[in-house]
Amino acid sequence: MKKITLTVNGVLRSIQVEDDDRRVLLDLLRENLGLPGTKQSCDRKGQCGACTVLVNNRAVRSCLTRLRDLDGAEVVSIEGLGTPEKPHPIQEAYVLTGAIQCGFCTPGMIMATKALLDQDPHPDTKLIKETLQRNLCRCTGYTKILQAVKLAAELLSGQTTLEAVRPDPRDGLIGASLPRPNALALACGTAKFAGDMQMEGLLHLAAVRSPHAHALIRSIDYSTARAMPGVVGVMTAQDIKGSNRLQDDQPLLCDKKVHVMGDAVALVVAETKDQALAATKAVLVEHEPLPIVATTDQALTDGCIRVHEQIPNLCYEHPQIKGDAASAFGNSDEVVEAEFSTQLIHQAPLEPEAAFAYLETSEDEDEPKLVVVGRSINIHHHLMVLQKALGWDNMRYEQPFIGGQFGIKMDITAEGLAAAAALHFKRPVRYVCSLAEAMWITPKRHPFTMKVRLGARRDGKLTAYAIDFTVNNGAYMSVGRAIVNRSLYMLSGSYSIPAVEAFGRLVYTNDAWGGAARGAGPPQVNFALESAMELMAQRLGIDPLEFRLINSLRPGESISTGQVIDEWPYAGCLEAIRPHYERARRESSGSKKGRYRRGVGIAGGSFGIGRGGADRSNVAVELMPDGGLTVYGSISDPGEGNDAMLTQIAAHLMRIPPEKVLLVTRDTERTPDSSSASGSRVTYMSGGAMVNAIEQLKAAMAEISAQGYDDMIAAGKPTRYLGTRIQDATLLEPKTGQGAPFESRVHGAQMAEVEVDTETGNVRVVKMTAAVDAGTVINPVIVEGQIEGGMDMGVGMALREEYVHGRTKDWVSIHFPTMKTSFESTVILLQTPRKKGTLGAVGVSEFVLLPTAAAVITAIQDATGGARICELPATPARVLASLARKRAG
Amino acid sequence: MVHPESWTKRFAEILAREDGLAELTEVHWRIIDFLRQYYQANGRAPLNTELRKGTGLALAEIEASFPKGIRLGARRLAGLPNPKSCA
Repeated sequence: MKKITLTVNGVLRSIQVEDDDRRVLLDLLRENLGLPGTKQSCDRKGQCGACTVLVNNRAVRSCLTRLRDLDGAEVVSIEGLGTPEKPHPIQEAYVLTGAIQCGFCTPGMIMATKALLDQDPHPDTKLIKETLQRNLCRCTGYTKILQAVKLAAELLSGQTTLEAVRPDPRDGLIGASLPRPNALALACGTAKFAGDMQMEGLLHLAAVRSPHAHALIRSIDYSTARAMPGVVGVMTAQDIKGSNRLQDDQPLLCDKKVHVMGDAVALVVAETKDQALAATKAVLVEHEPLPIVATTDQALTDGCIRVHEQIPNLCYEHPQIKGDAASAFGNSDEVVEAEFSTQLIHQAPLEPEAAFAYLETSEDEDEPKLVVVGRSINIHHHLMVLQKALGWDNMRYEQPFIGGQFGIKMDITAEGLAAAAALHFKRPVRYVCSLAEAMWITPKRHPFTMKVRLGARRDGKLTAYAIDFTVNNGAYMSVGRAIVNRSLYMLSGSYSIPAVEAFGRLVYTNDAWGGAARGAGPPQVNFALESAMELMAQRLGIDPLEFRLINSLRPGESISTGQVIDEWPYAGCLEAIRPHYERARRESSGSKKGRYRRGVGIAGGSFGIGRGGADRSNVAVELMPDGGLTVYGSISDPGEGNDAMLTQIAAHLMRIPPEKVLLVTRDTERTPDSSSASGSRVTYMSGGAMVNAIEQLKAAMAEISAQGYDDMIAAGKPTRYLGTRIQDATLLEPKTGQGAPFESRVHGAQMAEVEVDTETGNVRVVKMTAAVDAGTVINPVIVEGQIEGGMDMGVGMALREEYVHGRTKDWVSIHFPTMKTSFESTVILLQTPRKKGTLGAVGVSEFVLLPTAAAVITAIQDATGGARICELPATPARVLASLARKRAG
Repeated sequence: MVHPESWTKRFAEILAREDGLAELTEVHWRIIDFLRQYYQANGRAPLNTELRKGTGLALAEIEASFPKGIRLGARRLAGLPNPKSCA
């Protein structure tokens, strides 16, 4: 043992270190010194950079830096750089450029930036990319981070000042790129995430998980584990008093059978995480393996074993019939046919699963209140789920900051285990999953296989579309039915197609279960449609942009659900892309030979706003004594910037400064049910509900000519008003798939420019250009950031990412996007105010993913002249295979 | 209900009969009225502990008053929308 002395954020610390001490600097900061601003994501493999701090002015990964090596070191963590009250210019630069979305990567990114700028005060783009390429971000596509580093350099060198670059709210609040209200806390590491929670008497949870994909549970023996050091107890399904179900087919702790590798069968709580993990290895579970249903084809064969005994493997199906497709195909001049497939993808939020739960007692209540802190984006719904699962009603769900989610937190898992343990052992319990475990227990983007036919007349007008698609649902239902439904809601994309015949089916297997994932169904079917559009344009010899314009739906025409549309600004997006498209075509025309070839591709998309069908959001507002406004609503903000949207609209309507708006959004006790942060519905639905509440407040004030709070109180008027926004849309008729699922939509077109290495098959995206019409833009920088990040995710879907359950286990094996894979982006924001939009606005975040993959694949084909790639991702092997097919004729 | 504002007493009576309740008593209406008032003020359903305090009734009595219990019985009759996920 030895004593080491080091300085942390200017404070001298002495620490006893064992000779074989395995602790790293990250442990010291987070667990011993109470400095949780430094994050960890990658299971301490040095892959993510979220834990970056300065040691002797050099950026290091604190997860790999042994304490015993730090004698005499000077350490600076994010908390030592600046505070929300006195931020460092680098922190200000990240806030002002919109480089912070979920903010989980931000502390590490900022510390790496600090080290870079200390070394080189004026780095160029190439140097920034090289230096920060091992700091990962899932949200931004890195574009705004590059801008932040450059702005920081200018601020530090005196080339500009904060006053010169900071927007002035007095210039207007709608269409203004004001900094997000939460951004500074994220930049300074003071925003608390679930894994940052501490409490006296805290226990740590570890789960015993099945190594089998399909097996009966014969017995569980935890007698040895229970007696191990530090272990407080072990729980199995029989210790849970409620239904023990997260959904009808998904147990919280498996009781009789496991349905997918990684299912939880028992949990251990102990004084330390290491003790809990050690004890899980001593829990003996006797399984009786069952045949594994590995594919949808296997699942649908006669006699195949069922994944769930009471439900057929073909667990949902839905047709869609518009017009007479058979006749329309018969009368078509050209028909193209193809088969497409998309892959299983992990949404890959940088923050691994984490939850925290404890009992709260009060004199007013007979029984303690179970408080669950977790990453749900639908907190009232998940409160209800947990109440049923645990058989405990007196409960509150709290949401900390969320390190990205992209749909993954439409389901909960870790929260249920932490809550069950806290209730059972009556102690606070924290459950922070490893990254690999987080991947096992969360839903994924569903893989699709799609057979497509598209018909057209010689003049380019589409006549008919047919698609037969099969969705691998994996082991649990989650939102699987909605995935099929949403695919049908948006099946005909941006186009007017007189006749449509579709059939979607959802199939259980013992693979990882699918769930909500940015776009949730439409990105997959839109890839097939836009690919078929490209094939048809080639067949007809019509320019792809002109072909899309010819077929763009126009007001008065109907989509595949039969819904007649009254606003459809898609053609304007294509026209906005046109000059960029013509420029890119010219530039790439000379690069069609040789090893490195350039190509251009475009694709479009239109995305319905809301859950689909009837939708409702409740939001309350309260006029405060100081003239400010408090907004109450369960409106999650895992990085999209909903805090800015609500604040700017509220301040605009109330004619008050943004800092007078307070948002209360994070717990079920103080908020109305605003429903989920999904379906790109928050601005439209919850923003709309807030506007409704403000209108009620202003009407009440106008009635008595009130100038403010005091007048309302004196007149006996309420100061709090509950607003609602209801979308009177319909689900689809079961036999025809006809209905009116959305009131409004976001539209856009994208162009990909790529360079293909014809020897290796590697594809480099050089640039993406997006033209998006989401109605009124509340905060341009935030909308741009969503589009840039969405395109980065779409490029990952097109080229790299594929999750293989059990094999994909970290950020390297998932092919996480880096600064090295990032590309130049141009975003064109068009603003056709929507009749029913919130001040004319709709959402944008999910739509972005619809056109990207098809645009990239088209660009590859344009570059190489090879056969079209129909299976995603377009790996180097598939690119080379497409070239070989072309050569073979 | 997506539109709890369009709820009527007649609506509750029809659903009650579906649930096997021939008649809604004063106790039933006290519970239903509280649920509706709470939802209109707070935009969410009350926890059971809030329901107990608000009605002055024992939880067991409230639960027993509706054949389908509080969540699936009383709340439904009161026209309260349950929190939703994607359908």
